[in-house]
Amino acid sequence: MAKAQGAKTRGEPAVSTIHADIPAYVGPPPNADGWKTTVHELDDHRGTYGMMLFILSEGFLFIMLFVAYFYLAQGGWRWLNVKPPRLHYVIPMSVILFSSSGVAYWGEQEVKKLRYGMGRLALALTILMGMGFLALSAFDYKEHLQSVTPQTDAYGSIFYTITTFHVAHLCLGLLMLLYVLVLPKLEPRQWTPYRPYHNAAIYWHFVDFVWLFIVGFLYIAPNIR
Amino acid sequence: MSPAVEQHLTQLWESPHTLWGELTTVDHQKLGKRYLATAFAFLIMGGLEALVMRLQLAGPNRSVVDPETYDQLFTMHGMTMIFWYAQPILSGFSIYLIPLMSGARDLAFPRLNAFTYWTYLFSGLYLYGSTLLFQSPHGGWFAYVPFTDKPYSPGHGMDFYALSLIFLTISATGGAINLIVSIFRLRAPGMTISRMPLFFYSTLTVSISSVLSMPALAAACVFLELDRQWGFHFYDVTHGGIVLLWQQLFWFFGHPWVYIIFLPATGMISMIIPVFTRRPIVGYPYVAVSTVMTGLVGFGVWLHHMFAVGMSTMSMSFFSAASMTISVFSAVQVFAWLATVWKGRPVTTAAFHFAMGFLAVFIIGGLDGIVTAIIPLDWQLHDTYFVVAHLHYVLVGTNMLPVFAGFYYWLPKMTGRMLNETMGKISFWLILVGLNVTFFPMHIVALMGMPRRQWTYADGLGWGSVNLLETVGAFILAFGILLSIINFVVSLRNGERAGRNPWGADTLEWSTSSPPPAYGTVHIPTVVSRNPLWDAHDEEDDPHGERVLDQGRLTLASTPLDANPRYLSRMPEDSIVPLIMAVAMTGIFTALTFKYVWIALAFALACALANGIWLWPRHREPKPGESRQ
Repeated sequence: MAKAQGAKTRGEPAVSTIHADIPAYVGPPPNADGWKTTVHELDDHRGTYGMMLFILSEGFLFIMLFVAYFYLAQGGWRWLNVKPPRLHYVIPMSVILFSSSGVAYWGEQEVKKLRYGMGRLALALTILMGMGFLALSAFDYKEHLQSVTPQTDAYGSIFYTITTFHVAHLCLGLLMLLYVLVLPKLEPRQWTPYRPYHNAAIYWHFVDFVWLFIVGFLYIAPNIR
Repeated sequence: MSPAVEQHLTQLWESPHTLWGELTTVDHQKLGKRYLATAFAFLIMGGLEALVMRLQLAGPNRSVVDPETYDQLFTMHGMTMIFWYAQPILSGFSIYLIPLMSGARDLAFPRLNAFTYWTYLFSGLYLYGSTLLFQSPHGGWFAYVPFTDKPYSPGHGMDFYALSLIFLTISATGGAINLIVSIFRLRAPGMTISRMPLFFYSTLTVSISSVLSMPALAAACVFLELDRQWGFHFYDVTHGGIVLLWQQLFWFFGHPWVYIIFLPATGMISMIIPVFTRRPIVGYPYVAVSTVMTGLVGFGVWLHHMFAVGMSTMSMSFFSAASMTISVFSAVQVFAWLATVWKGRPVTTAAFHFAMGFLAVFIIGGLDGIVTAIIPLDWQLHDTYFVVAHLHYVLVGTNMLPVFAGFYYWLPKMTGRMLNETMGKISFWLILVGLNVTFFPMHIVALMGMPRRQWTYADGLGWGSVNLLETVGAFILAFGILLSIINFVVSLRNGERAGRNPWGADTLEWSTSSPPPAYGTVHIPTVVSRNPLWDAHDEEDDPHGERVLDQGRLTLASTPLDANPRYLSRMPEDSIVPLIMAVAMTGIFTALTFKYVWIALAFALACALANGIWLWPRHREPKPGESRQ
């Protein structure tokens, strides 16, 4: 019932969170501050705030790792005479990962329109693409490890630390998406249903965003010097 | 309000008084008090370590402890005080007070709150686990490489260092996120950004600093651990590593951390001084802005810990100037406090004594901070007792004295019992005399050439008598603290009943009974000024009981800037899962210490599963008229 209604109303939040049986807070009469006098929407933004701050912290972790990369490169001890990493795995990996972000976004829009089936499909597709990325990165590692290992020198240490950290965060993102996939269909009157999806998806976008810098700094830049 | 409503709210919010209830609770008051008690226990641990060190240094050529033990003692003392006491105790105040001050029923993420408490406790226990193995960290609290790398520090001591700090960053980042969201979302209607208590500004500033600076510590410690256990080469110069990378990362974290353990304490002082001078604080916006600016500029001063490593004059000048800029913001706050006292009518309670003691010691500590920010002097003073003197003046002065002021001010709210004022004042004077007698001579002995972190020293250098004086001072300080502890314990049983608002204070936590019920206040309060309890206002009237919000475990969420009531936030119930997850996380770090990767992965899986259970939605809307359970 709510589904059909929501599908029609585009633009505004698809599921109205105003429900007769949710208790209301009745504030004081309006004064100069222009307070809202009755409140009966349930808050579903806290998780997004928390996720944003978590991403901020994680983003700084990656900034620190990149800082370490360039700091260690300042002596040029290996960076200049090393054979730059090859790109033939990384380019398809990037294509997969960036398009998976697009798929996740599309799925979120579908869920907003209450098309849960499409949303779940998009979510599953995103997860598969993420796994494809992981598989390709295993091949990339296998090839790369033949020329340099983490124990070879500082370059190997930072290279593998950054990429492994990214893979670990990607796995965390995959777990989040998987979790959203198996979540029971939440009752619209309890939460705006796309909110957990949204929270997982912004983390996924963040992981993809970090990959952009990894490709740029660690893979492409050494090839074009 | 009728007792029935209060009973209903209690039923909604109070955790059962059983062991299970204590382990599963997500109540911010209980967790805040636990933070305070745990951090205080760490203060005592660190203090005892310091006393042993002072006994060792009381005279030349003493050997109370052997050199290796001495190294472990000063490292554990620094780590305990800086990481497990100074910040967590302020978190404890924030966690306890912020929901009460903002009229919310709990923090934004109550289960996260339980989780960060347990991880904080377990990371500390994990660190002290190293003592049981007689392998405590021994590289100083900032653990410079290459000394702390494997070839020079074999054994597990420095692994405990790196892993316990990574563990702690998880707790501290989670706690900071929780406080940021709470401050931005859960303020009472009308508590706009320009009417927040100043304590909110300082907590908000340091929480954001924590979120941004903690990753640097985590990265540095991950590198150290990879170097030590897995043969990586971040800090190994023979394989292209750079030793200074550690210092850069550590101090990029370390200096914001100094403000993280200093600013909330100044926020507490900004709350206490107006109450005991019976007037609003002078220059509220200036104090607020300088608090935020201290946090901001705090990110641009880390190189002043590294003036001696050999850098370009340009970068040293920049960081020297930035460090001195901090003193401008500090001076704004100091003059605002002084003006408040000057214009007000001081009531000289024990808490006020501690606040004033803070001002005096902070000024001395700040001034010798400026001295150490001057590059040529810093080269001379680097790694001498001058630095020890400065950092103790600043930390004891700006963290411990405000914390004691906070205890004397807020413990009546937490326990419902007044403390003994006379004993408090005697304790204050002992602490003040003790800390000056301990730390002031350190300046002198430094100028006489005594380096820091020295196990012992030769006779005939003229350091003996000064060091003896410092040791005497340390025991006076310890005795002062002991007196306050006795005061706290005695008051629990024998103190006078505190009542709602024994100090005639202005902020919302004093509008409820002492100790407050689990739900805080019955009515969601309203705010129209900076001093809600001093300024009576019509908005507070609620004849029909419409602002009680007792229909479920709900609290009011408002807009971040205008505090316009906007949403009802549903709060999670008590859960054992945060504790289970914290235990699993302890398992991860313990396994990693001894390189049991598969066990660590199994614990990580357990963590993920626990987190899944934690977040699984199982809210059920109570039918109208039905009570929960």
